[in-house]
Amino acid sequence: MTEVVVFCVAAALALVGALGVVVSKNPVHSALFLIQTLMGVAVLFVLQEAHFLAAVQVVVYAGAIVILFLFVIMLLGVDKAEDFAVEPIAGQRPLAAVVGGALLAIGLTVMVVAVDGSTGTSATFDPQTGQPAETALDSIGADGQPITDIERIGRVLFSDYALAFEITAALLTIAVIGAVVLTRTVSRGERLDDLEPASFDLPPVAPHDNQPDHDSAGESGA
Amino acid sequence: MLGQYLPLLALFVLAAAFAAGSFIASGLLAPRDPSAAKRAAYECGIVPTRETPERFPVRFFLVAMIFIVFDIEIIFFYPYAVAYGGLGVFGLVVIMVFSFAVFESFVYLIGNGALEWGPLKQVAGPAGAVSVQRTTGTTVRRVGLEDRGYAEGVGTEDADDTDEEAA
Amino acid sequence: MILAADPLYGGDLLGDILITLLKAGVAFTFLLVAVMLMIWFERKLISDMQNRIGPNIAGPWGIFQTLADGIKLFFKEDLVPENADRFVFKLAPYLALVPAFLVFAIVPLGGDFNRKDGSDGVVSIFGHDTFLQVADPPMGILFFLAMSSIAIYGIMLAGWGSGSKYPLLGAVRASAQMISYEAALGLAIAAVVLQTGSLSTHDMVIDQAAGGYGGIIPNWNIVVTGFVPFFVFFIAGTAELNRPPFDLVEAEQELVGGFHTEYSSIRFALFFLAEFMNTITMSAIMVLLFLGGPAGPALFFPEGWWIGTFWFFLKLMAFLFTFVWFRATLPRFRYDQLMDLGWKVLIPISLAWFLLLAGLRLGDDRDWTYNETLAFMVGCIITFALLGGLLIGAINTARAERVREEADRG
Repeated sequence: MTEVVVFCVAAALALVGALGVVVSKNPVHSALFLIQTLMGVAVLFVLQEAHFLAAVQVVVYAGAIVILFLFVIMLLGVDKAEDFAVEPIAGQRPLAAVVGGALLAIGLTVMVVAVDGSTGTSATFDPQTGQPAETALDSIGADGQPITDIERIGRVLFSDYALAFEITAALLTIAVIGAVVLTRTVSRGERLDDLEPASFDLPPVAPHDNQPDHDSAGESGA
Repeated sequence: MLGQYLPLLALFVLAAAFAAGSFIASGLLAPRDPSAAKRAAYECGIVPTRETPERFPVRFFLVAMIFIVFDIEIIFFYPYAVAYGGLGVFGLVVIMVFSFAVFESFVYLIGNGALEWGPLKQVAGPAGAVSVQRTTGTTVRRVGLEDRGYAEGVGTEDADDTDEEAA
Repeated sequence: MILAADPLYGGDLLGDILITLLKAGVAFTFLLVAVMLMIWFERKLISDMQNRIGPNIAGPWGIFQTLADGIKLFFKEDLVPENADRFVFKLAPYLALVPAFLVFAIVPLGGDFNRKDGSDGVVSIFGHDTFLQVADPPMGILFFLAMSSIAIYGIMLAGWGSGSKYPLLGAVRASAQMISYEAALGLAIAAVVLQTGSLSTHDMVIDQAAGGYGGIIPNWNIVVTGFVPFFVFFIAGTAELNRPPFDLVEAEQELVGGFHTEYSSIRFALFFLAEFMNTITMSAIMVLLFLGGPAGPALFFPEGWWIGTFWFFLKLMAFLFTFVWFRATLPRFRYDQLMDLGWKVLIPISLAWFLLLAGLRLGDDRDWTYNETLAFMVGCIITFALLGGLLIGAINTARAERVREEADRG
């Protein structure tokens, strides 16, 4: 019962957030709604007993990617509110309606047709018996205790899927190279504007009147 | 298993209620007397005459992008750390190859100057800034120590003569 | 692997909820009082180190100074600048404060871990068995990382929401600083997780409460993981908190007030509160990860949960003292020195150390011979030395390139 309630709340959170992303006039507000969606998805992961993924969702997605979005929005100065009445490219809205409708139709068809096996039971079936097959991922470990989800991920990721993992490493390397290449010509020769001036003069060595010590704890409310 | 998160929800509600309550209390207790000067953006007393076009360094954008990549890489270490026992030397080699790829891209990044934050001109400061004659004893005058048993001549005029010629 | 879980849940619903509310309420109150005392402690200690008296008017030894300041701030006018985005401006203090509270939930605060009868740290509150920590989610220490990531938003949105360029600049620099050090933080925690074998904070205490070397040196992670992850975490944690010597983004001489320039009265107070609360929780996490949390010998105490609480607070005070000590003594880092330290020093060191530890622990598990272990260590050290040389070469190349460019242009 609690699971149904939590699911409804989390799903509502995610959907409202998604709607907010699309509908907000201000890009920063869109980013905040995106965080709300990601939090909702994280709760849905927790409901599915994928605690590690829920944490990763927040740490990587909400904690790094949306921060990048916000940096870009703030850097490019596009943080002013948009006027939605103005349509920069003609024919966008009818095209969006057509594509959106098509995607919705495909999604519904998939959901209705592929009912068997989508109930969340074991993904591997023994072809002979039609029953869920014993996989290498037992849910009870050697010491009789249940295995955590993160350990199960660890066991397969670095053994069965080691190649895919290394390809991911290559992918991340490509991402880094792309980042460097994209920003290369801009960052060359750019004057640093937030560091100390080019020269300063030292005060004379003679003892001067000391400033009274001020409380350095920073209690300086306006 | 879901019950483990209930206390987090409870604490979240308490924290949010505390913040909201503070705002409400402040709304009731604080005076409201807005004026144009108060509402203007603070700029050390200088009245902002025009909006200076901001050109933020692109370094910040780079840092955020690179942080995403490294965050993902670090996240991959956690399943390994939990499951290293059953993975044996094979798993160790896998994670080492992965770390090497990570490190490789990191070295490329640094070599290309993406993480260069230093000033273009490394300022050495005026000559004689760091010298034997300049100590806290000669540059700092301690006030009020006369009757506390400290030696006379600390930070007084005799010590300063040597610094006049070095400065 | 133990799927450690708080034994509270599974019984009757009403009792569970009430005990949960009790624990959350106690932790909430404790945090607020602790922040109040921490601010006083910092001011008093700094004034001691600077040879002056500090607050001594409000209450005995000035203990109520923080309360007085907080109440004063309630009565100040709450200004919202005209260029501010009102919604974001008002949201930012929440995003700074709530993660600070939530991180404290996963920290074990007490319990008797010395009993060898399997009842590790379990106490009985009104008949319900539970841990002396507010929550023990299965994701454990990753929750701390997640909340650290959310705390960045408080600062970033505060700066942007103020609608003026100094707060925005301060906020962007502060966010860049915080995300730079989060990577090193994550790697140091990974080393601890390697040792514990589980993400759960309760498991970490159990692992460190086990017997140590020769019965004298405790099995604390600071010793077991080598001292490097501890130092990396300490430095990265200090930078993450924007505390001295990494407090450039809040320095008054630099950017007025940094991201909180435009905030007044209670909104400013909440940021301030959040910063000190983060200090306390970061210290608590350090105690948990590296110093064994509530684990400690019984000494002269009778058996009970207070043993754990005593040791926890003793260790916590050590860290809080050290943070204040840093503020009083160390000069500030320049921004580029700060970023260089985070990226070019801490990340490679913690990465290399993690791999070394992983290999050594594997050798321990698989009972490698002494020669095999030695060969592995020597191989690692040589490889890391070579790669470190490569890194230093890259740093020098980049620097030389910049100097050359500057010479070309100028």
